[in-house]
Amino acid sequence: MKVYSLSIIILTSILTISCNDQEPIIQNQEELITTVILTLNPSDNSGVKVFSFIDLDGDGGISPIITISKLKSNTVYLAEIEILNESGTTTENITDEVRAEAEDHQFFYFTMNTDLTIEYLDQDSNTNPIGINTKITTNNPGIGSLQITLKHLLDKFASGVSQGEITNAGGETDIQVEFVLEIED
Amino acid sequence: MRLFISCILLLQCLVIHGQCDISISGRVLDRATKSPLEYALIMSEGSNDAYIADSLGFFKIDNVCPGDLHLSLSHLACSPEHIFIELKNDTIIDLFLEHHFELLDEVVVHGHSDESGTNASSTISKREIESESYKSLAELSARIVGVSMLRNGTTSAKPIVHGLYGNRLTILNNGISQSGQQWGNDHAPEIDASNAHHISVVKGASALSYMGNNLGSVVLVESNPVSNDPNIQGTINYIYNQNGRGNTLSGTVEKKSKLASWRIGGSLKHSGDQKSPDYYLKNTGRREQNAFILLERNKGNLWHHQLLLSSFNANLGILRGSQVSNLTDLESAFQRQIPFFTEDNFSDSIAPPKQTVNHHLVKIESKYFLNDNTVFKFKYGGQLNLRREFDIRRNNRSAKPSLSLKQYSHFLESKIIADLNNLWTINTGLQFQFMDNVNDVSTGILPLIPNYRSFNPAMFVIFQIQIQGWSYELGTRLDYKHFIVKNINNSIPPTIETKTNDFINYSLSGGLIKRISKSFKSALNIAHTMRSPEINELYSFGLHQGVSGIEEGDRDLKQERSFKIISSSDWNFKDKIFVQFLAYYQEIGNYIYLQAEDEFRLTIRGAFPLFKFKQTNARIWGSDLLLSLQMNRHMKLVGKYAYIRAQDKIQKNYLVNIPSDNTQVEIQYAFNNGKKLSNSYIHFSGQYSFKQSRISISQDYIEAPDAYFLIGFKAGTSFKLSKRTLELGLFANNILNNSYRDYLNRLRYFADETGIDVGIRVKYKWES
Repeated sequence: MKVYSLSIIILTSILTISCNDQEPIIQNQEELITTVILTLNPSDNSGVKVFSFIDLDGDGGISPIITISKLKSNTVYLAEIEILNESGTTTENITDEVRAEAEDHQFFYFTMNTDLTIEYLDQDSNTNPIGINTKITTNNPGIGSLQITLKHLLDKFASGVSQGEITNAGGETDIQVEFVLEIED
Repeated sequence: MRLFISCILLLQCLVIHGQCDISISGRVLDRATKSPLEYALIMSEGSNDAYIADSLGFFKIDNVCPGDLHLSLSHLACSPEHIFIELKNDTIIDLFLEHHFELLDEVVVHGHSDESGTNASSTISKREIESESYKSLAELSARIVGVSMLRNGTTSAKPIVHGLYGNRLTILNNGISQSGQQWGNDHAPEIDASNAHHISVVKGASALSYMGNNLGSVVLVESNPVSNDPNIQGTINYIYNQNGRGNTLSGTVEKKSKLASWRIGGSLKHSGDQKSPDYYLKNTGRREQNAFILLERNKGNLWHHQLLLSSFNANLGILRGSQVSNLTDLESAFQRQIPFFTEDNFSDSIAPPKQTVNHHLVKIESKYFLNDNTVFKFKYGGQLNLRREFDIRRNNRSAKPSLSLKQYSHFLESKIIADLNNLWTINTGLQFQFMDNVNDVSTGILPLIPNYRSFNPAMFVIFQIQIQGWSYELGTRLDYKHFIVKNINNSIPPTIETKTNDFINYSLSGGLIKRISKSFKSALNIAHTMRSPEINELYSFGLHQGVSGIEEGDRDLKQERSFKIISSSDWNFKDKIFVQFLAYYQEIGNYIYLQAEDEFRLTIRGAFPLFKFKQTNARIWGSDLLLSLQMNRHMKLVGKYAYIRAQDKIQKNYLVNIPSDNTQVEIQYAFNNGKKLSNSYIHFSGQYSFKQSRISISQDYIEAPDAYFLIGFKAGTSFKLSKRTLELGLFANNILNNSYRDYLNRLRYFADETGIDVGIRVKYKWES
């Protein structure tokens, strides 16, 4: 009967361990990025332009809310990007995290069918660009798109990466959002 | 389904005086029916001489010297056993061999465990397991015709039997249905097969007496009872693989003693990055530390108790370049000749993405022989499964798991197997399984599957009758499954909702076997079975790296209903030619599958493919052919061919993740035993996998890879030094160093399979 007493002991102990609280805890999704805001300040007084992509419930579920602006032709804009996590009760600024680990991060800006140029204005300690602050110069009017990508743990020394070409970058994509971009007269 | 009735040897010794010219004779009998086991094979382990019992089970071995005698005993329908006899005089002995009931709802053939027989089979023997113990359970079982594997990279693989895997395939680890996170395609079964005595695949229409959600087929990983040898004996097995610089060390020690017979064992595996023909596969190393203790105690001849404790611990690397952040990254990965992050040098470190898995099992089993014809069995199995998956994350969070699950499962069974008269056998039992699945809260990511508990009582009854060479079987099973789910929904902010799901499943099966002649046997099985949806099919929600997309469950799914018919014929011509042909046809109503939606799900990280669990009606059919030729005393030729088709009847296309046709040829040459060397052999194998050409491009990201051909080589020999045996082996896989990709490996999106691998093997076996 030793086997049975042993088995009863094991059984009860396992059942006791396993009957823990089943109620899940909704975790703070500290890593989540819910919001991307690109703010463009023109060198003249034509007004601040804002592009934003907000998806508060994360992957899947409710569709994101996308806001766009129209840029003015032949204008120089100083742009700054801000990324946030607004899923919790307090808003976290992820841009600070990117800035703190600048060597491991880079924003890429890719435009299609639009006549404009984008220059990086900031650098990490290896003199490679980060892309939080950029200069956007518009030329002729037209309509196209702007895609913004944030990579981390990429190869910032790979060919073309410091010029803003994403092809050889590798790494993980933290954000990739696309906006309709219109340059008007 | 096979049932162990007895594992006891009754020794009845008649003492006649004699000296160094001793003979040993007797009969090999079935413990349950007392009927003779015809043509049982008896091997003297010292001399490797083999003796075959006659058609009435009688055997005689002459010219044996006194002292300890070790025999190994095997029979077509039984697993092999070791027998120890302290020999002083001429001895007459009745050997009662553990008998596997060959129930009709399964088609399983057990071959002779040694290489000399022509009966290849659905069983992988101890010898084969030892010679390839660096492989996983799925890789080992894939040697069986009709069995394939679904892989994620180089370290995780799960078996596919007749097109069914994961939630639809039960894996029994020493009689306990493996309870882990079987739903994930990238979740390998948490079982260390390196110390198992055999791995069997039951290709059936139903498996009524097993818990778990199977639709016919079962994979069994089993250990023999502890040897009845009062002397301590053990084995140590070491394997080195050049590719990945892999080391595998495994071993067991066992002894019979008065208090309890015991066997302890364990294994250690350590390997680094695998290499494809052209580049290293970054981060594909593995670590494993496994151990078990098996205790057996008999109280008289009536009570048998067994306690098994086992622990499986693995750390598995996943190809660094296979973690994708979104559809754009996935598409750019397809364009690359070599994966992102590939490095020029070998490394044996494991970094994220990786999985760490722990699985612990406690099994208690008791058998009581009410009388010679009736046995009562009680079984408890407790399992704890911990799974943590690590991805590349921002800001030093890679050390935190992205998925962390803890699952407790408890299984209780009591059953009675009775031989009512010599015609009727009844096998009936009650079962209960409880599962508690909890997400660890420190991941910082909303979980893919919710916390849940499930309660699953079940009962079954199976009748068998044998009349004039015909065996008939009829069985039924009833299952009730109740889920309580604590789901985090996707409202803003998220809230917790409690959901329940209930399912009642009933199964019915019938079959018959006819032994037409001594050399020809035919079997037919028909079954209706049901499978309730699993937690991931009902509730998963979120990004699933295993499918490179967003996965959404459907809580209104219905049970699957399977109707399967399977027929097999075995023909054995004088142990020279063995042919097994098996054909099956299965209809699965409400077949649950992941449908790739046309739309993409837009997230802040870009677009992801969206997969939803849907139901359809499926039809699966196929056949397995096995041919074995013993050409002469030395040469043996084995050929295998597996054919399978699986259709979606509603969408009129083929199902994904179904093996392509494949064929294998093996040639073995066995050398004569010399004075010092014995069991020497060389073995070549060739494997050809056809292209899976039935998948349309709309069902997958990229086209299925091309057909491939692989050649393997093995050679071995053993030295015998009194009570010690040293076995040496050499092997090579993918000798041609072919670059290829396999349709059933998610690695194919990113990289080639591993190239040539050369290895050596040393096994040391001793008795004291």
